[in-house]
Amino acid sequence: MNAKKDWADVIGGLLLLAGGLWFMSMAAGQTMGTLRRMGPGYMPMAIGVLVVVFGLLVAVPALFRAGTLPVPEWRPFATICLSVLAFALVVEKFGLVPATVVLTVVAALAEPKLKPLQLGILCLALSAIGVGVFVKGLGIPVAAFRWPV
Amino acid sequence: MEMLGNLALGFNEAFALQNLIYCFFGVFLGTFIGVLPGIGPLATISMLLPLTFHVPPTAALVMLAGIYYGAQYGGSTASILMNLPGTPAAAVVCLDGYPMAKQGRAGVALFMTTVASFVGSTIGIIILTAFSPALADVALAFGPADYFSMMLLGLIAAAALAQGSPAKGIAMVLLGLALGMVGTDVQTGAQRFTFGIPQLADGINLVALAMGLFGVSEVISSITRMRAVAKQKQERITLRSMIPTRDDVRQSWRSMLRGSGVGSFFGTLPGAGTTIAAFIAYAIEKRVARKPERFGKGAIEGISAPEAASNASAQTAFIPTLTLGIPGDAVMALMLGAMIIQGIQPGPRLVAEYPELFWGLVASFWIGNVLLVILNIPMIGLWVRMLRIPYAILYPSILLFICIGVFSVNNSAFDVLIVMVFGVVGYAMMLLRFEPAPLVLGFILGPLMEEHLRRAMLLSRGDPMVFLSRPISASFLAVTFALLAWSLYAAVRAQRRARLAMAAG
Repeated sequence: MNAKKDWADVIGGLLLLAGGLWFMSMAAGQTMGTLRRMGPGYMPMAIGVLVVVFGLLVAVPALFRAGTLPVPEWRPFATICLSVLAFALVVEKFGLVPATVVLTVVAALAEPKLKPLQLGILCLALSAIGVGVFVKGLGIPVAAFRWPV
Repeated sequence: MEMLGNLALGFNEAFALQNLIYCFFGVFLGTFIGVLPGIGPLATISMLLPLTFHVPPTAALVMLAGIYYGAQYGGSTASILMNLPGTPAAAVVCLDGYPMAKQGRAGVALFMTTVASFVGSTIGIIILTAFSPALADVALAFGPADYFSMMLLGLIAAAALAQGSPAKGIAMVLLGLALGMVGTDVQTGAQRFTFGIPQLADGINLVALAMGLFGVSEVISSITRMRAVAKQKQERITLRSMIPTRDDVRQSWRSMLRGSGVGSFFGTLPGAGTTIAAFIAYAIEKRVARKPERFGKGAIEGISAPEAASNASAQTAFIPTLTLGIPGDAVMALMLGAMIIQGIQPGPRLVAEYPELFWGLVASFWIGNVLLVILNIPMIGLWVRMLRIPYAILYPSILLFICIGVFSVNNSAFDVLIVMVFGVVGYAMMLLRFEPAPLVLGFILGPLMEEHLRRAMLLSRGDPMVFLSRPISASFLAVTFALLAWSLYAAVRAQRRARLAMAAG
């Protein structure tokens, strides 16, 4: 046995396997129907089974070959995801401008290259573009500012 | 003669002021994001999908298509000047384009790639114009079983031709199919995988899915990659430096034609895409060249052939998308999504039912390509300067447009959360080397396939032999099977070779 494994594919395959099993369990709650009259559960069940099969096809051969596992860039990953999350949480309650500022500031933490003044100017500029193009221009119904009551 | 009449109709439509403006906007933006590494046509088209809710269908599609083929023009600029491809297909241009720039011939390289792009596109459009109506006529005879088999072929082809192992590609297609099942079942009204969340009843928002997979994950992975770029210096490109020598022209016109041929062919195949076309064109040039050792050291054929190929395939990729409703790659899948959003059912009836849309789009390709030549030759200095925009300013802006864009589709903050979820999924896939493109293809085709499958089984009274007894369906399945067998064989052979190499070393 070779101690080296292609970890990227092992992990990927196992994730697929788990996802497929979960999908099958969810599909089992739906009506299967017959081949002639398929119920809403028929296709999902079939796909779930295939996902499991292909999860194994990806993971098992990878156990017997060497490979590399790339290291995630945690800082950009966490900050970028957080910035999108922050936008989603803020935009409906407080309006577009606060959401824009929060997103820009959090995203800038991923690669702190901008000086505070530059960051401020970027926030202002992006807020102006957002309000000008989307609220005034395209007329999407979101307030620039809002105070939650 | 009918073709001329159709084209006249198309030009009439495409020269309407609104469509002209959107065409210009599309190719301009396409060149811009093509030039910039770290943001590609997929992310941009997903970002602009919401905008298309506010414009008429022809204008919307003209603009989205312009971004796609415009990016093919711009993609090579950063490859040549900075050895950093602006689009995946332009990665091949780095091989000989960057050495040319080092020899002080960047101007010539930029000029020749634009010419090659134009030649490739023109040939691609001619093929698109000539063959689409005929193909649509054939496809009118398709029944539900034939459609199902054709889509199956499209998905398997996308998975088998994608980079990496075919098993991973097929797994991604299946994951896309699974995600496509979320929402209300059209035939019974049953809620599937919605967990009682009302926003999921209409299914996962395509725009949110695409922006997470391609936009957010691209930004995350580009931030560290772009550090290297900031340190590079750039030279000035003058018009005079762009004039090719007589040798350059003599050496490249044949390779442009060969590249266009390769590209046109691969563009029509479902799942092949521009990147594969460009790589194959490069490989062919190297094989037919009298002195293959020149390649990699600034051979002009090494940039003109793949550039012509990627542009030709970007045009012919519209053939299966528009006439059969089968997208060849992820960008085409998004175009299909845009049509469905606009209430247009893509498929063989499109050419007959919406002639102004179809021919208007084709005519806009001609106009767009002429605009692109103007944008890329006299205005090249502008794009070179664009490369100096720091990514630290660019990426928060990209993220913001993604968020506002998704939010504006349904005015739903929930959709922005979906973007984040698929950003995480997309980044994980990138790290584990799974391709996102087959996933999107599966996601879009999944619901259509299920519908056709159920209809076919209902019509045949539950007899699965219907897929083999109909000649059209049977031939699609035969090709699918052959493709599967071939990719299995190739995978096994590659593994055996790797093992032998390891045993020997």
